[in-house]
Amino acid sequence: MNAAAPRPSDTPRGYWLLRPAGMALLVHRRGAWAGLLLAMAVLLVALGSLSVGTPSLPLAEVVAGLAGAGDPFNVFMLHELRLPRVAAGILSGAALGVGGCLLQTLARNRLATPGIIGIDDGATAFAVASIVAIPTSLAPPMLALAGATTAAALAFGLGGGGSRGYRFIVVGIAVGALFGAVTNFMLARSGIDAANLAYPWTVGSLNARAASTVALLGACLALCLPIAKMLGRDLQLLRFSDAVAVGLGTRLRRTRIAILVVTVLLTATAVAVAGPVGLVSLAAPEAARHLTGHRGVPIINSAWAGALLMIAADWAGRTVFAPVEIPVGVITAIVGGPYLLWILLREPRRTA
Amino acid sequence: MSRTAAHTQLRRTAIVCAALAAALMLASMLLGAGSLTPLDSLRALLGGGSEENTFIVYELRGPRTLLAVLVGVALGAAGTVMQAATRNPLAEPGLLGVSAGASFAVVLAIYYGADTVGMHFGIAILGALAGCFLVLLTTQMRGAGADPVRLVLAGAAFSSILVAMTTLILLHDQRSADEIRFWVIGALGGRPAGNLQWALPGVLAGLAMVGATAAALAALSLGEKVALGLGHRPVFTRVLAMAGVAVLVGTATAAAGPIVFAGLIVPYFARRLVGPDVRRALPLAMLIGPVVLLLSDILSRLAVRPYELPIGVVTACIGAPVLIAVVRSHRLPRL
Repeated sequence: MNAAAPRPSDTPRGYWLLRPAGMALLVHRRGAWAGLLLAMAVLLVALGSLSVGTPSLPLAEVVAGLAGAGDPFNVFMLHELRLPRVAAGILSGAALGVGGCLLQTLARNRLATPGIIGIDDGATAFAVASIVAIPTSLAPPMLALAGATTAAALAFGLGGGGSRGYRFIVVGIAVGALFGAVTNFMLARSGIDAANLAYPWTVGSLNARAASTVALLGACLALCLPIAKMLGRDLQLLRFSDAVAVGLGTRLRRTRIAILVVTVLLTATAVAVAGPVGLVSLAAPEAARHLTGHRGVPIINSAWAGALLMIAADWAGRTVFAPVEIPVGVITAIVGGPYLLWILLREPRRTA
Repeated sequence: MSRTAAHTQLRRTAIVCAALAAALMLASMLLGAGSLTPLDSLRALLGGGSEENTFIVYELRGPRTLLAVLVGVALGAAGTVMQAATRNPLAEPGLLGVSAGASFAVVLAIYYGADTVGMHFGIAILGALAGCFLVLLTTQMRGAGADPVRLVLAGAAFSSILVAMTTLILLHDQRSADEIRFWVIGALGGRPAGNLQWALPGVLAGLAMVGATAAALAALSLGEKVALGLGHRPVFTRVLAMAGVAVLVGTATAAAGPIVFAGLIVPYFARRLVGPDVRRALPLAMLIGPVVLLLSDILSRLAVRPYELPIGVVTACIGAPVLIAVVRSHRLPRL
C-alpha cells in the first residue's frame, strides 16, 4: 500500500490517503476491506457454481478447463454453458444491487427498491408484450427499457417525487400490480406456445439469457458504474433533508434525474437478462451498508453483494432440488421475503 | 347530517345498487365469450332455445353468476369490516395476504392429497384464520401497526413469500399444475359442482359473525377508551370481527380463488356514498360487492373474445387506481 500521510492530521480516522499522480484520494478503510471480502466471496461462489452440475467437476479441473486445458468436453461445457450463466448472474446481480442502492438513497427509504415500486413489473410487462402481443422488430431489452421508464415515471409522478415516504412506495406497489395485470392479460390471450416462450420473463431465471443481451448489460454496467460513483458526493448529501443538500451545493433536480436515469437503465437491462429478481436490489445494498458500517453510499460494494447474492441463489436453485431446477427468482423471494418483513417490523423500535 | 336524512340516503343508495346488481346479473346470463348471441341467450333463458343454448345459459352461466354474487357479498363485507377492525383504509384481504394464506393452505393440502370440495373450504378457512391472526398481531405492534401504509407493505412481502412457495410446489408436482394455477390467479367459471352448496353456508356464517360486531366496531372508530366507556369489549370485538373476515375470505377463496383488490374497491365506494360509519357502510358494501364482481366477470369474458381473462386482471385494473387515489389523498381518512 502506497499510503502516505505527511501530517497525521491530514487523514481522517479510518481512511487511507492515496496520492496517485499528484491527486489526493481518500479511501474508506472498512469499505475497501469489505469490497475485497465480497470480491473473494464472489470468486469462490463462482468457482463452486462452475464445478456443480451434471457432470460435477473437481475444482482443479474447473481451473484447468477455464484455462483451456484438459478434457475438450469440459472446456466446451465450461466456456459455452456454465461460464455465460455465471457471468450473466454476476452482471445482473451487480446491476440490481447498484440500482437498489441508488433508488434507496434517492427516496430516503430502504424499501424503495426497483422491485418494490414496480420498475421490474413494468419492464416485464413490456418484454412479454414484445413476445406475445405486438410483434415488433425491437428486441425485448429495448422494450424492457421502455417499460421500466414508464413504470418509474408513473410511480414518481403519482407518488409525489419520492419525498413522501411510504405513500410513494404504496403508489409504486399499485403501479406494479397494474403492470402485473397487463402481463397476465397478455399471457391469457396468447396461445400456449407464445406463453411458454414468455414464461421465463415472469419468474426470474438465469436460464433464458441471450448472449447479446448479456453483452448489452455488461456495456450498460461499464457505463453506469462510473457515473454512479461520480454522483457519490451528491448522493451522500441527499441523505440529509432537501434544504441541507441544496445548502451544501447539490443541484437537486439534476442529481435526482441523473440517479433515476441510471437506476432505470441498470434495472431494465438486468431484468432483460434475468427477469424480475427484485429482492436482490433490496438485500444487496442492505448487506453492503452493514459491512461498511453504515457510512456513505456503498455503490461498488452493493454491486459485489448483488452479484454474490445472485449467483449464490442460482447455485442453490440448481442443486437443492436437483434434477428439478428452481428459478432464481423463487429462491430470492423465499429468502428475501422474510428479510423484508423483518426490516418493516423491526424498524420503528430502532428509530423510537 | 341528521339520523333520518342519513337513513333516507342509505335507502336510496341501496335501492340504486340493488337495481344495478340485478341488471348486471341479467347481463351476466346473456353475455359470454362464446358464439352464442345475447338474443339467443334471452330466448334460452325464457325457456325457448335449443338444448345446447339452454345448457350454456342455465348450467354454465347460472352457477357462475350466483358464485359472483356470493363472492362479491363475502369480499365486500370482509373488506369493510377489516378496514374498520384495523382502523386502516388500506386493509384488504388480498393486499394483506389473507387470501394468499387461504390459497396456499389449499395448495399444500392438494399436494398432500386432499381432494374433496368440502375439505378445500375447511382448509381455506383455516389458512385465512392464520393470515388474519398475523394481521391482528402486526396491528398491535407499536409503529408498524399504527402506520396503514407500512401494513400494506408487510402484507405484500408476506404474499410474495407464499406465492414463491406455491411456485415451488408447482415445480415439484407438475401433475396438479393446472389446478394449482387456479389457486394463484382465481376464476369464477368452471368451478366444480358442489361449490355453491359449500359457499352459501360459509358466507352466511361469516356475515352473522361480522354483523354481530358492527355496532361495537362503530364505537371502536371513536377510540379504544370511548368504546370501553360505552360498554364494548375492544379486544373481543376485534378478534370476533377478524374471525368473521377469515370465514368470509376463506369461503370466497375456496370458491373462486384469490381475487385481489375487490375488498379495497368496495369499501372505498361504500364510504364515499354513505360516510365512514360501518353500520351503514356494511349493508351497502354487501350490495356493491356483487356489482363489482359481476362487472369484472362480464368484462373478463368480453375483453379478449373468444378467450377469457383471469378475473383478477380486471379487479387489479380497477383496484390499482383506487389504491393510488386512497394513498394520494392529502390525509389518509381515519377510521
